Amino acid sequence: MTLELLSVLLAIAGVVFFFAGALGLLRFPDVYSRLHALTKADNLGLGLIVMAAILQSSSPAQWLKLILIWLMVMLSGAVTCHLVARRARRIDSRVDKTLESNARQEESGA
Amino acid sequence: MTAYLIGLVVLLLCTLLLGLVRVFSGPSRADRMLASQLFGTTGVAIIVLLALITDMNGLHDVALVMAVLAPITSVAFVHMAGDEQR
Amino acid sequence: MMHLFDLLLILGLLSFATLSLTVRDVFTSIVLFISTGLIIALTWARLGAPDIAIAEAAIGAGLTGALLLAAWRRLQPAVTDQRTHCRNGSSSPTGADDERH
Repeated sequence: MTLELLSVLLAIAGVVFFFAGALGLLRFPDVYSRLHALTKADNLGLGLIVMAAILQSSSPAQWLKLILIWLMVMLSGAVTCHLVARRARRIDSRVDKTLESNARQEESGA
Repeated sequence: MTAYLIGLVVLLLCTLLLGLVRVFSGPSRADRMLASQLFGTTGVAIIVLLALITDMNGLHDVALVMAVLAPITSVAFVHMAGDEQR
Repeated sequence: MMHLFDLLLILGLLSFATLSLTVRDVFTSIVLFISTGLIIALTWARLGAPDIAIAEAAIGAGLTGALLLAAWRRLQPAVTDQRTHCRNGSSSPTGADDERH
């Protein structure tokens, strides 16, 4: 009984993290802060829900499979967010360089 | 007991539908792809909770396949739309 | 309570499918197609068919998305390096297209 109560509490906490992640994805201003909100939902929210599922399943094979799901989601989230952030950073730095060179040309022309 | 979990699944589905706004209003393409990734993770969470509610252990395999194949589209996005100098 | 879940699932499925067919930007349409495949996988899981849900998650949400993105890349016009001054105005209404170069 206590175990079930603990499981429901963990699931509620996970859903709260997912909700915060979606809200951050809607409200935050640029790509980097949206990535920040998204990784919280990915790692911690799914981790809490998986823990809630582990507390209610009986066999060790189920535990291992659930933990494997969580590890796979963490791995894919890390890879994806790294790639997207590097792409956004590359585009931003290129824009900065273009703006700098434009300003320099205007200065030297003036 | 199960009623609470069903309510939580409904809330998670609402969260997933909320992300639809970002797919439309996202200024850059990376934002749209990030919303798609949030869809994938929320889908995995919904399937784990569904397996708990309906007591079907076969659904864990669905969640595993979803988690493994989720980064393919994102990596393809970065690979295809990433380098604009080509 | 489970009926509410089913209703929301049907609503989301219909809206995702309709929007992915009617939206103008091709990239948005591809992202919506990937999300539609994911919701279809959720629907199969809810209907109690995990094997079809696995196939849908692997093919519909995974591989078809990558193939569509590759096709979208081929459909882009030839890339010319025209960095204009308006790039800093990304909050302008044309901000949605500021990565198209």
